[in-house]
Amino acid sequence: MEEMKIDLKKLVKRVGETGEFITCDESRCDGCGRCADACSMGLWAVSGGKARLSPRYTELCLECAACWEICEREAVDFHYPRGGTGVVIEYG
Amino acid sequence: MEEYDVVVVGAGPGGSMAAFTAAGLGLETVFLERGRKPGDKNSSGCGLGQRWWRDFPEIMGELPGLPSYRKVEMVVINLVDEDNRLRMRSGTTGSDLDATRWPHGMEGASVYRSCLDPFLAKRATDEGAELRTATLASDVIMDDGRVAGIVTDAGERIGAKVVIAADGAMSTMARASGMRNRWGAGCTLVPQLDFGCDEGKLDDVIGNAEWCWFGPFYGAYQVNFREGFHLGAGQWLRRDWDTRPVDMLKRVMAIPAFQAMTRAVDARPREYQAHLLPWMEKPAKSFSAGLMLVGDAAGFPCPLEGEGVWHACTSGRIAAETAAYAIRKGDFSERTLSEYERRWRASSLGLEHEFGREFVELWDNSAFDPEKMGRQIQLLLELSMLNPFSICFDWGDAHMECLNMHLSHFLDMLPEFGEFGGRYIKPFARGISPGNVRRMLCMMKPRLPALRRLSDERYLWLLARFSRSLRPYLEGREGE
Repeated sequence: MEEMKIDLKKLVKRVGETGEFITCDESRCDGCGRCADACSMGLWAVSGGKARLSPRYTELCLECAACWEICEREAVDFHYPRGGTGVVIEYG
Repeated sequence: MEEYDVVVVGAGPGGSMAAFTAAGLGLETVFLERGRKPGDKNSSGCGLGQRWWRDFPEIMGELPGLPSYRKVEMVVINLVDEDNRLRMRSGTTGSDLDATRWPHGMEGASVYRSCLDPFLAKRATDEGAELRTATLASDVIMDDGRVAGIVTDAGERIGAKVVIAADGAMSTMARASGMRNRWGAGCTLVPQLDFGCDEGKLDDVIGNAEWCWFGPFYGAYQVNFREGFHLGAGQWLRRDWDTRPVDMLKRVMAIPAFQAMTRAVDARPREYQAHLLPWMEKPAKSFSAGLMLVGDAAGFPCPLEGEGVWHACTSGRIAAETAAYAIRKGDFSERTLSEYERRWRASSLGLEHEFGREFVELWDNSAFDPEKMGRQIQLLLELSMLNPFSICFDWGDAHMECLNMHLSHFLDMLPEFGEFGGRYIKPFARGISPGNVRRMLCMMKPRLPALRRLSDERYLWLLARFSRSLRPYLEGREGE
């Protein structure tokens, strides 16, 4: 049977300019990669022993904050984007 | 600087219930929503269960008027084997006994947060609270060691006698005030996919039911709305996964019976969401000077089911009542606001968490642990051959032959039950504290006609005489 093919990126709506809202402190990051496991949009990857956040994250992030919650080194800092911008959930 | 009696951060169900209650008690109240409208930022399974009829009947009575409402009267469990075959579909619904316990029997409701949240916010504004949308509270104002207001991301300062933070699992107010940073343990991530579908076909195929999918490597919920449904699955963030949370959904979507259902109701994937859900043994600290946390911000969701909307509304109401009490006293100290915790602990919200550790252990030993889940599904599928809840089991051949066949299969499996019980069931009991074993036994006492007149002490003494396995719990020593 044909598996249902879904492009998750096409199933997210957003509005406005969020500005920056996630940062990673490289001096704390030990490159464990847990942020990459948690992110369902695949926005984190480890290279050179450090977590790297996609430069396109403001267009793709779901604002779930899992990368912040899972980081035991507290290298990831997450704040919600500016009021009235970012993800819009119509069928939550 | 503007000044209010109460600033509520967040216009989800907890925030709107807090604002509604505060305004109704005559307090000058503003509540803030970071989205363009309430519900813009929120996703949850969002099934509202029977206790809503007891605690918020005026809300339940209005829900059928909301566009996404679906009545829920049944839960259907789908069990799938390791080859993705559907092996058992079993539904449970209300009985006459339930009708005596709940005013509306087992009736519940499903409604999208994009409907529910604006509806609850409007109740609060109708009651006199002021709503500001597209407003993110990004910091707190501290005054002499207490929270005395908030700062918006636009730099606006709003003063308050009491701040009620209903700002979700990643509570900005809890972080900014120094109450806590990340949860560290006990927080889950819930990816959720919404499907749109044909309303009439959903009525025919699924009706007024919630569905669950359980297989060897996952447990997922399917909450059904008027013309769509959610497929979601959670996993604790403390684990080292062999399956990423989003991949658990893909496993369900690969089940042929799931795909058949989606074809039958003309389902198409419509929206993808992910959110954090605190799934805690115990809630976090819920108050400090000038600040109370409600709903997910305090870690209140149900430790058995992860349900959180009722918990948010219940704690929001208690927080607003406590704010009114503190304002009457003119004292916003931590000591005065500790009244909040005293009150929620005494409510049914507090009772919910008395067995928090045991409920969390239950999941940790089953759906959230792939190895144990695999074994349990296998055993359930073996048992389902007996169809224990049905008289419609296999009578296809000569009846006594069939019965003997089933009986001999059952007897063959007995050693396996013993082995399974020792390895997989016993550890559940090991997680239960002696104090809660005693509490559970005392809760059973009123149902036992011969024993209900005994004092608790005498009753437990008697049980300890009769049961060797209970004795260590009842005599104050750890089990095993």
